[in-house]
Amino acid sequence: MGPLIVYDAISSNTNLLLAFFIGIGFGFVLEQSGFSSSRKLAGMFYGYDTTVLKVFFTAAIVAMTGLLFFSLFGWMNLDVVYVNPTYLTSAIAGGVIMGAGFILGGFCPGTSFCAAAIGKIDAFVFIGGLFIGIFIFTEGYPLWEGFHNAGFMGSPRVNEMIGLSQGVFAFLLILAAFGMFWAGEWAERKFAGNYR
Amino acid sequence: MSTPPVTHSGTNPVTGNQNINVMQKINPRILLAIILIPMGLIIAMVPEDTTGSRKVSTEQILQEISSGSQFVSPDEVAGMIVENNPVLQLIDVRSSNEFENFSLPGAVNIPLTDILSAEWRDILDQDVRINVFYSNGSVHANEAWLLTRQQGYRNNYVLQGGLNYWMEAIVNPDPPSNLSPDEEFARYDFRRAVNSALGGETVERTVEAPPPPPMPSIRPRERATVVQGGC
Amino acid sequence: MRNKYLNPYIGGVLLGLVLLAANFVSGRGLGATGALRDTIATGVKAVAPSHYHNAAYYSDNYAMRTERPMNSWLVYQMLGLITGGFLSGIIAGRTKLTTERPSWVSSRRRLFFALAGGILFGYGSQIGRGCTSGSALSGMAVLSFGGFITMMAIFGTAFALAWFFRKNWI
Repeated sequence: MGPLIVYDAISSNTNLLLAFFIGIGFGFVLEQSGFSSSRKLAGMFYGYDTTVLKVFFTAAIVAMTGLLFFSLFGWMNLDVVYVNPTYLTSAIAGGVIMGAGFILGGFCPGTSFCAAAIGKIDAFVFIGGLFIGIFIFTEGYPLWEGFHNAGFMGSPRVNEMIGLSQGVFAFLLILAAFGMFWAGEWAERKFAGNYR
Repeated sequence: MSTPPVTHSGTNPVTGNQNINVMQKINPRILLAIILIPMGLIIAMVPEDTTGSRKVSTEQILQEISSGSQFVSPDEVAGMIVENNPVLQLIDVRSSNEFENFSLPGAVNIPLTDILSAEWRDILDQDVRINVFYSNGSVHANEAWLLTRQQGYRNNYVLQGGLNYWMEAIVNPDPPSNLSPDEEFARYDFRRAVNSALGGETVERTVEAPPPPPMPSIRPRERATVVQGGC
Repeated sequence: MRNKYLNPYIGGVLLGLVLLAANFVSGRGLGATGALRDTIATGVKAVAPSHYHNAAYYSDNYAMRTERPMNSWLVYQMLGLITGGFLSGIIAGRTKLTTERPSWVSSRRRLFFALAGGILFGYGSQIGRGCTSGSALSGMAVLSFGGFITMMAIFGTAFALAWFFRKNWI
């Protein structure tokens, strides 16, 4: 039963080795999908290229559906899978700052490494910025420690927050994703002229 | 008249080509929708969480606390010590200093601060023995029990009243008055017997603690700790 | 087929399977910025050991817990990510040292905004406990409430600010 590391099916060193292979898959798919191009990524916000939306949400609903089926078949205990804890204040504030960074920089951290790997100089500079930003955070930690830890809610799942079962929420999310895909393809036709 | 062209395994090459064209024309989005939406529908209709949790719900712990089912009385523990019952494992959750000064026979020292460390998990999370936490009062032992219970560990208990009550009840029991019922006298005699078996009248133990009972091999079970992750 | 990108839905399915594999094997999702933070912690430890043991962040998150901050799951995953991205670039013939920008944006301008964006993203990812991959994508797959909030905040802000920075992109 999974996760393999929790049930001692693999050693912690094997886990790190597999992390490397998972990373290869991650980087390969990102690059193949065009996430190594800041103009392609930024196209999301000007409508001419909604690849980000399609890849991101497809990945999320495939992984989510897969996890729920693994749980259904008894292959995996979802209760021991890491669920990001929710600190409401910092989740929103961090997201807002990251959103600003996204539209300025044209990358997110994972994609910037992917782009740097194929020689994009702007990605190298973006990564330099990431280091500076994280360094500012760790060095000035006492200044924003309270803020960072405000609004702690545990690790709630979104379906619990709105009172639905996991399965029903998953189904609605899948439908919503296809609705967004349809809107994305419509936007790509409408705003194609934005890409010069 | 010419012979008809040879076809491979009965398939018409022309229609085969057409099939490939049809496959290419299917929008991956539509294909994805055809696969994922029914899967979503299935997942929405089946009861969730068939693997279930090995952790214990807060409600259940609350119920156990209010019924006090985690406590064992000094008499029960004393009885098991005297019998040399191999199922009993006393766990001293006080500091190692206090443990050096005085401890109950056969106890192991797991200070409260270390109770969640991986080192002790195989002792605390097992199905074979009965672990009894004790501290001076019962507060720290109870905290240890609560922490391990939240991890989903079973077979852990708390010595009621802690060592303080142990001294009162087992080491220096008050003689019952003449009007007491017979069972009071029986308990008093039992306690005196236990006390002498444990090494006499005084608080300080004068004899070596009996050798710890042979450890039944504790089989490490499936662990159920939540993975640390995040970005 | 050179230079041609994968169909986004196929790419999405593959990325979803990678994410599923990460959860099945290691019980956790993908991530990026955590590896950078581990690298910074290692750097600080090497350059200023006393600061590493005294400053609140490093002592709370690293010095008390692990001898080797770089020996982490995310660091190995990031090394893989770089390798995988490079392999894909080689196969598709996309490896080229270049600053990608629209023709009317100067290289300097593009690099300035890349640096500013990086600083904001780096700082924001630590405030918000995870970036687009670690919090938003991985969080959504396990239905984390925080993951959904972060995802909406990232994309909502980027959309809201898009108009102000349109000269950089369109």
